[in-house]
Amino acid sequence: MKVGYYPGCTLKGKALALDETTQLAVELLGEELREIPDWTCCGATTPLTETKIANLIAQTRLLIKTRDAGYEALVTTCPFCFSTLRRANLSIREDELKRKRINTYLAEDLRQRDYETPPPPYRQYTGDIGVLHLLEWFRDTVGFDRIKRTCINPLKGMKVVPFYGCQLLRPAEELAMCDPENPTILEEFLEATGADVLDFPPRIDCCGSYLSVAKPEAAMRASYKILDAAKRIGADAIVVTCPLCFFNLDDLQPEMMKHYPEFRPIPVLYFTQLLALAMNAPVDKLGLESHKIDPRPLVEKYSVNISREVPA
Amino acid sequence: MIRILSPADRREATKRLMESSNQNVMICLQCGKCTAGCPFSEEMDLDPHQMVRMAQLGLLEELMNSEAIWFCATCFTCESRCPVSIDIAAIAEAVRLIVQLGEGDHFGPDDVPKDVSANAPQQALVSLYRKFGS
Amino acid sequence: MSRYGLFICHCGKNIAGTVDVEDLTKRFEGEKDLTVVENYAYLCSDPGQNMIAEAIKNNRLDGVVIASCSPTLHEPTFRNVAQECGLNKYMLEIANIREQCAWVHEDREAATDKAEAIIRGTLARVRNAAALEPIKSPVVKRALVIGAGVAGIQAALDIANSGIEVILVEKNPSIGGHMAQLSETFPTLDCSQCILTPKMVEVSRHPNVKLYTYSEIEEISGSMGDFSVKIRQKPRYVEPDVCTSCGDCAEVCPVVVPNEFDMGLQSRKAIYIPFPQAVPAVYTLDTEHCLGLFPLACAKCRDACEIGAINYDMKPKIVEEHVGAVVVATGYDLYDMSNLGEYGYDRVADVIDGLYFERLLSASGPTGGVIRRPSDGKVPKEIVFIQCAGSREPERHKGYCSKICCMYTAKHAMMFQHAVPEGQSYVFYIDVRTGGRDYEEFYRRAMEDGVIYVRGKVSRVYEEGDKIVVRGADTVAGGPVEVRADMVVLATPMEPSHGVEELVGKLKIGCTADGWVREVHPKLRPVEAVTPGYFIAGAAQGPKDIPETVAQASGAAAKVVNLLSNDYITKEPIVAVVNEDLCVGCRLCIQMCPYNAREWVEERGVASVNAVLCEGCGVCAAGCPSGATRQDGFTDAQIISAVEAMLGGSGEMVRKILGMSGDGEKPKEEELDAEEPVTVLK
Repeated sequence: MKVGYYPGCTLKGKALALDETTQLAVELLGEELREIPDWTCCGATTPLTETKIANLIAQTRLLIKTRDAGYEALVTTCPFCFSTLRRANLSIREDELKRKRINTYLAEDLRQRDYETPPPPYRQYTGDIGVLHLLEWFRDTVGFDRIKRTCINPLKGMKVVPFYGCQLLRPAEELAMCDPENPTILEEFLEATGADVLDFPPRIDCCGSYLSVAKPEAAMRASYKILDAAKRIGADAIVVTCPLCFFNLDDLQPEMMKHYPEFRPIPVLYFTQLLALAMNAPVDKLGLESHKIDPRPLVEKYSVNISREVPA
Repeated sequence: MIRILSPADRREATKRLMESSNQNVMICLQCGKCTAGCPFSEEMDLDPHQMVRMAQLGLLEELMNSEAIWFCATCFTCESRCPVSIDIAAIAEAVRLIVQLGEGDHFGPDDVPKDVSANAPQQALVSLYRKFGS
Repeated sequence: MSRYGLFICHCGKNIAGTVDVEDLTKRFEGEKDLTVVENYAYLCSDPGQNMIAEAIKNNRLDGVVIASCSPTLHEPTFRNVAQECGLNKYMLEIANIREQCAWVHEDREAATDKAEAIIRGTLARVRNAAALEPIKSPVVKRALVIGAGVAGIQAALDIANSGIEVILVEKNPSIGGHMAQLSETFPTLDCSQCILTPKMVEVSRHPNVKLYTYSEIEEISGSMGDFSVKIRQKPRYVEPDVCTSCGDCAEVCPVVVPNEFDMGLQSRKAIYIPFPQAVPAVYTLDTEHCLGLFPLACAKCRDACEIGAINYDMKPKIVEEHVGAVVVATGYDLYDMSNLGEYGYDRVADVIDGLYFERLLSASGPTGGVIRRPSDGKVPKEIVFIQCAGSREPERHKGYCSKICCMYTAKHAMMFQHAVPEGQSYVFYIDVRTGGRDYEEFYRRAMEDGVIYVRGKVSRVYEEGDKIVVRGADTVAGGPVEVRADMVVLATPMEPSHGVEELVGKLKIGCTADGWVREVHPKLRPVEAVTPGYFIAGAAQGPKDIPETVAQASGAAAKVVNLLSNDYITKEPIVAVVNEDLCVGCRLCIQMCPYNAREWVEERGVASVNAVLCEGCGVCAAGCPSGATRQDGFTDAQIISAVEAMLGGSGEMVRKILGMSGDGEKPKEEELDAEEPVTVLK
């Protein structure tokens, strides 16, 4: 199946480390994932009211681009992109009114653009492009066994806890990604890297999402609960897939230490950073400088490729 | 303050919210499972199950004036555990939509704290403007 | 010439409100063979029935049509009137102009036309009807009771005490069902086993009860009054008449498995007795866990048995019994906790269900009646009970209310408070349902004894250290609440006994969508299954408590005794009949019959019908290529003449009938114009 890579705006902006380690890991696996040409914003998040049909246009436009570039599916790392694209597909497939309105709008939009050469006629989108999350692609296309074999630097002894967040899991009937109460895909992935995965009940909780911008105190409380629990069970790091979870859990830790005096920091890592590390990628390629809580002391313990300048 | 329950209110406002959110609020038992699982119910002035209750009774104004609807992170924990599968996040969004039709942006680019705007991931700002902005 | 009578009922406004009964009557007056044409307000009333009776007698009528409500209501009523007046009851037919006409239309003219068509059709049927005689079949005066929990035991005792022999079949090694596992029963707090075991012993010793334990129904055939049952006795590998239940065999058995009776809290050996008061008090060898008999891997138990009761050569045995009635008392099982993701599936050791808690409470149970945490054996100080754990959840689990959980949870919490006075129990609830005498007072007592009731469901439980964090809500005080508990008990719903779907398929009785055995009418005929000859008792029909179960079991028993007190059962003669002169012996009918009612008669080379088994479905009559089968009550002449009569000469009536919808209007069609400009709705 021809699959295109969709990084999304955040991965090319504030979460560059996630994009770069994704591409690095794909390369080290000997696979190829090309970016969808001329991709646009995915339009997160999914509208929950019936009249906001316009808020599904960005998703559809992107899926059409994917189709017209010759791909059968796209794979993305950002859970917001994943969730809204997967749900938009379902809306298009199942809701006749939405499908008609969106296709009518996009057809008209195409007609009204100024082109030197007229574009090919508009083809209706009916929801047939697949939407995959990178974890699914790792599991189904690459296989966790193959990943395990490629992890020549298994992270044995590194105690990690997985953090799924919301957008990968719920609403489960629409996302059909994993069991929202007992998901296992991230644990299976982490086990392939050799890390010790600890049992972590808050792994399905919410980090606060965009409320860290609109209601910072409330979001900090939610994130603090998660980090505190991770600390108490003795995790060395907490592993996330989502740039917003990353921001809420990593970026806000210095503030957290002010609000909660007994709080001790714990590094946050993207799952692809961990994977690249286990594949023996050099530490300076993992984008760790951008973290607020420096994971390098931990990571360097598990890296065999540290280049240390020996003073002359 | 006593809440006057009026059939006209109910028919009008409840119908509007139900159609907008596509949720059948009438079968809610107010069991409270949504409130129990919501990560931000402790900050909300109206519990999630109370929001559904207001929707059942057509008390739209109270919903529109609440702070609770602006505390929803759309994590869908409520929907995933509700015994009758009501999506309370959708109901909150339906109320927000009505508020925004009246007053425009509830939260726009000017409301982002300066220290946050420099660092926050794009997805947070985009989703926030689409959820709380008009 | 034949003389017929037509009686049209107003049924108050039910018919007359839509159908113009007077006009309808006029349309039939003066017809050649209609000697009597009348209408009346309520034909089913005494005066109405008298009117019909007088008309039949005075006019020596050969046939009658009653235009009224559905035959399911009063066909027997009117047919009995005819029979009493000397007119064969099958010469009286009902034209349903209420449920099939007046109640579903609004257009008065069209409804009246339709009623005329229906009556004309029915008259044609009667004109072509034959004076049939009911079919008599002998009744076997024995009963079968499937399931020996308290429902089956009670039904068996009541039937046996009236002098009728009962075959009682139980799939487990011992009778007693789930009631034997309970500690105390609400609202009296009687010790469950103390009140059950006397009945268990009585039924096992009763001269009129033949008890088959560790047995299942293999096959059942026949019909009401005469059933043939094949019962498969599973081999125990222990001779029941020899075993003295001394227990020497279990002592030496090397295999240890969780004991189902104790919900896994305690273990048993592969050769075991489920509980000390088991009836029969015989050991059973569980071949699923035994190290192996073929080839023989161990044999320690046989060697240990001093009286030679163990016999590895025992084989499954099929026993055949004949009975006249069957009582289904298969009971319930609890919905599995492993379905409840938000409560940890089945993985958190200290999250248990109600039956497990009963074993903890039971003085003869594994902990001697001391409530202990499964994980470390410590006595819990804070315990949370979650009601509606998987019930009233139509989207993901069971949609129904399981009726007994509010009461048993109140009992559990109260027992905990008594046993651990310094402890605290919390019950998270949506409602507290106490529909029974003395039940509300029981719940009040629980609250007085210190149980804290929190109105709100629990969203999630998870482990943290050696505590279980319970995230719930108090919808009354407002806001989420959290309890760090030592133990959590889930009140999971009852569901039909596991494996009952297969049995129900064999018995060919009806089930609801949830798998409960369906009764004929929930209010008026609650103990009779949809298939005649089958009765229901206990939780097999739906969630219920012990008082209701016992009452229902006695009710089913009364119906059985009622049925079996007759020497014959009469059956409606709406059956297939073979014209042997026309039968070519192709045997297609034998293959077609869904009720196994068709037989091959070798001596004459023709097919025949077993009238007792025939249900009159008509498949063979329609399918017989030689036209050798007629369906009494629905002959070709009757059907064709009825249709012709309904269509009327010009076919106008057909057009009117087909053109009618509920209120005479065509349904609206939604059209989306794809060409209209799209505006984004604000």
